[in-house]
Amino acid sequence: MCLAIPGKIIAIKNQLATVDFSGIEKEINISLVDVKIGEYVMVHAGFAIEKMDGEYVKEMQGYLGKK
Amino acid sequence: MWNIAMENRKNKLVELEDGGGGEKSLRLISEIRKFFPVTKKWKNTEDDGAVFDLDKLKTLNVHNGHLMSTSSSKLVFTTDAFIVDPIFFPGGDIGKIAICGTINDLSVMGAVPIGISLSLVIEEGFPESDLKKIMQSIGKVSKETGVPIVTGDTKVTEKGKIDKIEIATSGVGLASKIIENGGAKVGDVIIASGNLGEHAVTLLASRFNYRTKIKSDCQPVTAEIQSILPYLTSCKDPTRGGVAAVFNEMAEKSKMKFVLEENSLPFAKETVALSGLLGIDKFSFPSEGRFVATVARKDADKVIKILRRYNCDAKIIGSVAKGGGVYLKTIIGSEKKIEVPRGKLIPRIC
Amino acid sequence: MQIVANKILEEIKKKADKIGQPIRLMELCGTHSQTIAEHGIKKLMPKNVSLVSGPGCPVCVTDQSDIDVVVGLALSGLPVAVYGDTMQVPGNVMSLEGAKRSGADVKIVYSISEAVAMQKEKPNLVFFGIGFETTTGMTAWAIKNGLTVYSAHKLFPLAMEALLANKKIRVDGFIDPGHVSAIIGTEVYQKFNIPQVVAGFSGEDVLLAINMLLSQIFENKPRVENAYGRLVKKEGNKKALKLISEVFEVCDARWRGLGEIKNSGLKIRKKYQLQDASVVHKKLIAKIKKEIKSKPSACKCGLVLQCLIEPKNCPLFRRACTPESPQGACMVSVEGSCNVEYRYGK
Repeated sequence: MCLAIPGKIIAIKNQLATVDFSGIEKEINISLVDVKIGEYVMVHAGFAIEKMDGEYVKEMQGYLGKK
Repeated sequence: MWNIAMENRKNKLVELEDGGGGEKSLRLISEIRKFFPVTKKWKNTEDDGAVFDLDKLKTLNVHNGHLMSTSSSKLVFTTDAFIVDPIFFPGGDIGKIAICGTINDLSVMGAVPIGISLSLVIEEGFPESDLKKIMQSIGKVSKETGVPIVTGDTKVTEKGKIDKIEIATSGVGLASKIIENGGAKVGDVIIASGNLGEHAVTLLASRFNYRTKIKSDCQPVTAEIQSILPYLTSCKDPTRGGVAAVFNEMAEKSKMKFVLEENSLPFAKETVALSGLLGIDKFSFPSEGRFVATVARKDADKVIKILRRYNCDAKIIGSVAKGGGVYLKTIIGSEKKIEVPRGKLIPRIC
Repeated sequence: MQIVANKILEEIKKKADKIGQPIRLMELCGTHSQTIAEHGIKKLMPKNVSLVSGPGCPVCVTDQSDIDVVVGLALSGLPVAVYGDTMQVPGNVMSLEGAKRSGADVKIVYSISEAVAMQKEKPNLVFFGIGFETTTGMTAWAIKNGLTVYSAHKLFPLAMEALLANKKIRVDGFIDPGHVSAIIGTEVYQKFNIPQVVAGFSGEDVLLAINMLLSQIFENKPRVENAYGRLVKKEGNKKALKLISEVFEVCDARWRGLGEIKNSGLKIRKKYQLQDASVVHKKLIAKIKKEIKSKPSACKCGLVLQCLIEPKNCPLFRRACTPESPQGACMVSVEGSCNVEYRYGK
């Protein structure tokens, strides 16, 4: 139930943000966080629950991309 | 009312009579046949059964562009059914899966497909334009691969009895060497012909409203397999149940242990992401145009070099050892068991 | 990554040697249990370090009586929306899956926002709100947007208190949950005088947390350390916490396996009582509770959740109770101790 995935905010419209998860995109509810375009969020059950440190996510994505 | 009636006339729909065997049936069948002009050496393709003269085998030394040994003495026969939803998806449709799936089932046995039968069960009210698109897809693959649709059947059911359209196929192929599922040996390496699971990603993304550039990997694999046939010790295409299902089958039949390397997994980042987002194991994601195989270690580099001409993501993903079961060697150095997928698998993906 | 992991494992071995005596570490979050099982981390541990799963699976600790109420509401004709994990949890009579098969209108949603959209067409829809603080914030948002909710939400730190109060359970350190902590922060754990590390969910994250816990144990300096700093802040997610406290207030709650724990649940505030299913359907719920009798069962989920026994000690484990036919919540959820043990144990 704690399954959550980090993604990057690429667009915002009111309470919804388009979030990019390594090439998979979806609209996510951002009512629980204060975010800007370009920031990373941890997403659980369709909601961003908290902002994530972007440098870490890029490092992980780079690592995943090499696999 | 008038506008709706005009729309219905413009968008011609399949009717019950189209599957009844009468005049309308003959019309529909003849429309469908127009998409399949390729017959190769088959005769009587409009009769009750298509005919292939076995005497012709002796004179056949080039078939579908592949140089065949005249000692192709084994007939390989397969059958399949397709109920995929949605019927149109990025990278293909139910028709493309049907013909590729059948061709690939023969190809992973080491056979060169020589003919396919096509049975259609269509729901009353299905748009003829959609039917034509699906037949066009099948015809395109048939033309590109040279594998003919030699016979078939068409039925129409009342509305609501099935969901839009279902396709069943059978296929025959010829082989000189059969690749067994259980042929892996200790020391063999495990290879993947490219990134896996992208057919599942496409359908799941569509079903759960995610957007992605990933398209279905649906395609025929005959040419790739034929190019490395002498080196294969076992081979399968990971359709339903994904690699979790096929590797467990291959490990059991060969009585070997299959060990995959976590730092060399054949999954695109999108596949990893969608698997995490949906909580569905990526090892159970079907592919419809990829294969996994085992080859002797000494042949591995050569095989990968050949396969990379078709797909730059072909790679070695693990090795075969003594023991049993399928395991993932994790990046932290432990071994995680990969089980046969259980419970409700992803529905209607093939 | 293997090099880093190997280094951490070496340090773990050295520290475990220095400590000498048996060490028992508990991960509190179901997703950590999954990570540990998936990466075979138990097998990598030195002989004197054992890892034990705590009651951190929100589906697993949802009491039968709550399942019974929602099943009863569904069978009485109300449309119900739930997270997928709850479908197969057995109540005293049946599960929500059973109710659906009996013809009840039970819909699975991936996100509560789907339920909010559904309510436009089904104004009497009831959503089954379960989970710890990770999901409570979303439920609060949904209630403010008009969704009717039956709340079985729980407060995570109270489970930790209950465990620590139980003298039968011996634990030397906690791997604190990652995503619950992203919401509640880390200060709330300070009151527990026991080694704690907040961890992320990769294999290396968990190894790192174990390493840090062993240092604390060796130095005899229990404290709360945050090894998931890329996501978890000391003060947590203030926006989410504000929303939760606007919509919910603390109440007593029944936990499967742990019994009633004071001040461990969340109920919807009077201000939002029009969205509170337990108020809107008060009479119906009372009727349901009266009609449903507690059923005796050989299922030992309660003892598993309290970490008093391992799944393999339950008489039903691997026999009558499997992921395909779960007898208790611990087998239903993919994060439940019994489910994890079934899939990864030998």
